[in-house]
Amino acid sequence: MKTVIVHPERCVGCMQCRLACAVEHSKSKDLFGALSEVVRPKARLRIYPGRQHLAFPNKCRHCDPAPCQQVCIAGAISRTPAGTVQIDPDRCINCAMCAMACPFGVLTFGATAKAPEKRAVALKCDQCPERQAVGRVPACVEACKVGALTFGEVGESQVDKGQAIAHMVFKSLKAEKEAGPPEPEMVALWRQLA
Amino acid sequence: MRYVIIGTSAAGLAAAEVVRARDPEGSISLVSEEEHLPYSRPLLTYLLGREISPEKIFLKTADYFAAWGFTPVLGKPVVQADPEAHTVTLAGGEVLPFDRLLIASGARPRRPDIPGLDLKGVHTLRNLVDVERLEADLPGDGGEVVVVGAGAVGLKMADALVTRGLRVRLLARGAQPLTRILDQVSAELLMAVVQEKGIDLHLHSWPEAVLGENGRVTGVALNNNREVKAQAVLFSVGVEPRVEFLAGTDLAESDGIRVDSFMRSKTPDIFAAGDCCVPKHLLTDQHTSFHIWPAAVAQGQVAGANMAGGRRRYDGILPMNSISLKGFRLITGGHFTPDTGDGEIFTDLDRHRRRYRRLVFQAGRLVGVTLVGEVEQAGIYFQIMAQKLPMSALPVDLHSAEFHPGKLWG
Repeated sequence: MKTVIVHPERCVGCMQCRLACAVEHSKSKDLFGALSEVVRPKARLRIYPGRQHLAFPNKCRHCDPAPCQQVCIAGAISRTPAGTVQIDPDRCINCAMCAMACPFGVLTFGATAKAPEKRAVALKCDQCPERQAVGRVPACVEACKVGALTFGEVGESQVDKGQAIAHMVFKSLKAEKEAGPPEPEMVALWRQLA
Repeated sequence: MRYVIIGTSAAGLAAAEVVRARDPEGSISLVSEEEHLPYSRPLLTYLLGREISPEKIFLKTADYFAAWGFTPVLGKPVVQADPEAHTVTLAGGEVLPFDRLLIASGARPRRPDIPGLDLKGVHTLRNLVDVERLEADLPGDGGEVVVVGAGAVGLKMADALVTRGLRVRLLARGAQPLTRILDQVSAELLMAVVQEKGIDLHLHSWPEAVLGENGRVTGVALNNNREVKAQAVLFSVGVEPRVEFLAGTDLAESDGIRVDSFMRSKTPDIFAAGDCCVPKHLLTDQHTSFHIWPAAVAQGQVAGANMAGGRRRYDGILPMNSISLKGFRLITGGHFTPDTGDGEIFTDLDRHRRRYRRLVFQAGRLVGVTLVGEVEQAGIYFQIMAQKLPMSALPVDLHSAEFHPGKLWG
């Protein structure tokens, strides 16, 4: 399944993804329009200060099986044919059972333009179905300037990451024989982006 | 293989779906005394409060049974289950033979032993038909109602009735609602919200009799010689397992059907899951009855897998609850106090924002949590408890205000 993949080592915490996410989930899908909407849109991912990295983007992993889906007492959480775990705001009753089940703490609660009559429902990443339908990548991925959010197959991304690490280890083993301090991982990753 | 499942709610359906995934050929009969399509019991209070439209209570569509290849046996209560003969007898005399039986018959509301319960206007809320009865019987705008028992269900019922424009008196036996799971601080935060909603909470109060005239409720006599007027009385004072059809067998005890880690009863071919069973506690390993939808689903899935020849283990029940009263959120779980002397209780209160965090530690592990206001990360705490992770294994101190996903994984 194609999904938004997070590379925390690249994130600089600029929050542009949050802005893009909120705009995408507004009624007008436009920053200036969104600001004046009755229901102020909310971002579905969060950026936390990290421990090893500068920042850590936390968002729904679309687990399979999904703990939130299993505990939902309103039958509001389902999986789309593409594999995305989605919440139906019409069925959501804002009971927070999903927050109790989610091991990653990705749920937030708030109003949404999709169900304007409700004061709050559970909100989380829906992988921008409307953008995907026209072949565009999710809004956060498009907004990310440092490659910390990419859209692809989780399996392939794992392979790529493994190869990158192997390559780096190999390089650092060779580098030891030469002069100069080893290059920090962050710097190497930044170079790769160029 | 002939599978019979008693109960078509959370546990029964979860089990049936897992059985079907593992055994495409076997016959699966789903027995329920209710004729409705499967619906969500926890949504009944939302239906009563008109927060959801009636069709949203149903979790499955009309073609559900056919699509999964289940045989529905609806509208027929079970009168006897015979573990020796491997049969289930239904009202009307129909006999269903089984190779594997799952008892997911649930629970029924308890009623206190006081006079006046036969009066018209005395209700409990457990089944869809109860909402229909209540709809027909509740007084109009401004009418007076008494809700007995300020547990999770009692609070939601009171909330629903206030939303309908009724004057609600909510009776709590102790000095606060939810005595066993909330400390004084979180209870005060909850009580402030209850009051703001216009629910009249009576502490240290319980009914001694339901009063009536001409067969109809007129009021409730409370302890300390008090009397309140009421046109309807709703009881939510706990539930008891529905195991009367096991009379004469040794499967059920007064608190329910004891099951092992495989959700198996004393008889190897008979499993139990959901509110009627008593599984082991995840932290203490003692048999503990605790009733909540998510646990019933998890138990049903384990039972289903094992009925179909698998060997899946149930981790155990971890008591947890989420109480949400329009804008106010409260999640609690695990132990309320430490079992052992070396335990610690940590609290962190932001009264202004109505945020509160209470953690219970014991032997270097997190064993209990209460979150008020900000509950987004509740699942992380529950995961740490369920996996019994020692605090020393966490990259960030649980006491710290910096405890968040970034410090954990970033």
